Amino acid sequence: MRGRLNRSGTAAKAMAIACLAFMGTASAAQELEVMHWLTSGGESASLSVVRQAYRDQGGVWRDAPVPGGSAARAAAVNRILGGKPPPVFLFSLGAQLTELSSHGLVIGAPGAGDEWDRVLPPLLARSARYQGQYMAAPLNIHGENWMFYNRALLNQAGLAVPRTWDAFIAAAAKLKTMGKTPIALGGQPWQERLLFNAVLLGVGGRDFYRRVYEALDEAALSSPTMLAVFRTFAGLRPFVDEGSPGRRWNQATAMLMRGDAAFQFMGDWAKGDIKAAGMEPGVQIGCALAPAPDPAYIMVVDAFAFTRPRDRATAEAQKRFVSVMMDPAVQAGLNRAKGSIPVRTDVPDDGFDICAKQAMALVRDPATNLASTGMGLSGGMAGAVDDAISHFWNDPRLTPEQGQELLRKSILAFR
Amino acid sequence: MKPSHRAPTLALLPAGLITFVCFYLFIAWTFAISLTSSQLLPSWDFVGLLQYERLFASARWWTAMGNMALYGILFITGCLAVGYLLAILIDRGVRAEGVYRTIFMLPLSMSFVVTGIIWQWMLNPGLGIQQAVRGLGWEEFAFNWLVRADRSIYTVVLAGIWQQSGLCMALFLAGLRGVDPNIWKAAKVDGIPIWRVYASIITPMLRPVFFTAAILLFSLVVKSFDLVVALTGGGPGFSSDLPARFVMEHILNRQELGLGAAGACMMLATIAAVVGPYLYAEIRQKKGG
Repeated sequence: MRGRLNRSGTAAKAMAIACLAFMGTASAAQELEVMHWLTSGGESASLSVVRQAYRDQGGVWRDAPVPGGSAARAAAVNRILGGKPPPVFLFSLGAQLTELSSHGLVIGAPGAGDEWDRVLPPLLARSARYQGQYMAAPLNIHGENWMFYNRALLNQAGLAVPRTWDAFIAAAAKLKTMGKTPIALGGQPWQERLLFNAVLLGVGGRDFYRRVYEALDEAALSSPTMLAVFRTFAGLRPFVDEGSPGRRWNQATAMLMRGDAAFQFMGDWAKGDIKAAGMEPGVQIGCALAPAPDPAYIMVVDAFAFTRPRDRATAEAQKRFVSVMMDPAVQAGLNRAKGSIPVRTDVPDDGFDICAKQAMALVRDPATNLASTGMGLSGGMAGAVDDAISHFWNDPRLTPEQGQELLRKSILAFR
Repeated sequence: MKPSHRAPTLALLPAGLITFVCFYLFIAWTFAISLTSSQLLPSWDFVGLLQYERLFASARWWTAMGNMALYGILFITGCLAVGYLLAILIDRGVRAEGVYRTIFMLPLSMSFVVTGIIWQWMLNPGLGIQQAVRGLGWEEFAFNWLVRADRSIYTVVLAGIWQQSGLCMALFLAGLRGVDPNIWKAAKVDGIPIWRVYASIITPMLRPVFFTAAILLFSLVVKSFDLVVALTGGGPGFSSDLPARFVMEHILNRQELGLGAAGACMMLATIAAVVGPYLYAEIRQKKGG
């Protein structure tokens, strides 16, 4: 017993010395703790681009990963409320971040300047601001309205990539007679919403999309156009296989890659899995925007947010972090790895895959920029929209009229 | 206070304190939050019963409550029936009793999450039972409850019974082993058929066991969350949603702390409505006796 006490005493001394030594280095370069959820292959590669650039500038980076987006966001909020706020944490632009800002729990992005107004797409700049100030530094832009397709399967069926929903339904009917699953759908509410929004955009057009999700316009929600959207959406039910409910998105992507299914409507993060399977996006698995009358890009944006620094050194570190992350070369490198596109419109598209090149050209036109429901709506309303769409999709007894009424009621209840 | 009383009081104090803080204080806090407009963060902007009005207007909440009632009734009666039947069969002196007991008890050693995933595979129409039977030649065979909005909750019941009937079996078996052998001898002498002995004599004798098992299962029903998350994810749509899942999702993912708290309070009220009368009867009995 005595021996043990002695030993632990020595250990404590050693630790104290180590702490002193550590504090010595810490004053030279303040360690910066970065909380995030970028843990899968491509994601982690993209973050290491930022990390490496930050270290090259002499910064000390402490990684604090939490797997899973919603778990990581909840962990960050808990730490803020618990009085141990992480100096830098990954979040998504949207109502949750705005609420944190309105309570003064996050500070404006250090070093955000007029340059941002010039290079960020206007919709993104608007979403990233609270009371005129940038509340976060955007990391990447993901697009939600992509239509991935198995090129070999379409060739075999003698089909061209459909440009309208009518053409899509005709193609899907043909594929079904060949014994293939036309649409690989993961039957989780958010995936069903992605499919629905693709139809909404394709039948109504991008201005109609804005009237529904930005203006929350009751006339648009009750319009015949909306009914047509629900008719088309309901018409897709027969083209999904029976095993869809509960399936994860990457299992659906695997169906596409195996050639069991022809199309998948998914965000551009699916490219990560396609690359990981040794295929090139745009080659074996083609990417096109979901059929729509006018080009549009439904955006989801991850962004780093910042809490009040404990000391000057942390403030400096935060500032350096932002300048590193917004650097055009770092933006290019990290987004190439992640499958997304840079938040800056002035980054050249060299080295990006063909899908990202298309998206980067598209996003330069502000008229194409649309916000996903998660970014544009409050958490409660976005959830209620998911509920309405998912309820309609999964209950074939519901008529398009009833579906329209479900969505109308969900949105108006929160307006 | 006499010194002899001080030690037990001191020993009980930490547990009492933890119970007070972690249960009663947090219940009070949740109730207070349910009266506010809190979204992502708690705020003390009181709005009366607005969150309850919103809750009661939500179709999804009523689906979840209806599912809990349906799941509760079928799960409890199912477990009791299957567990009792298994216990009786084992008690009749089956050979290799230990083997059967172990087999029936094994599912209990798994968590609900594992059970959920196993059944998800078995019930998946493209992989599991349906595909296997079709492979044997019955091309028209359909067992696709997992993916049907009007049937999915029954798959949760099925998986729940599979998991928990072993527990009931053990309880009943213990009860049956405690039955006085003389009762059986007397019944034999009188020439009463075996099923009649079980129905009219043994079952009434085992009333306390039924009661214990039902209470244990009831607590599982109210807190059931993991099974449905792993098995159906609340889907298709929200057709197999349960109140606990509704509350968790609204608090953690949907920035609706107030609404979620209101849901949690309604769950507590539901439990109180069932347990309250029982406690009342117990207390009255004690006073009377």
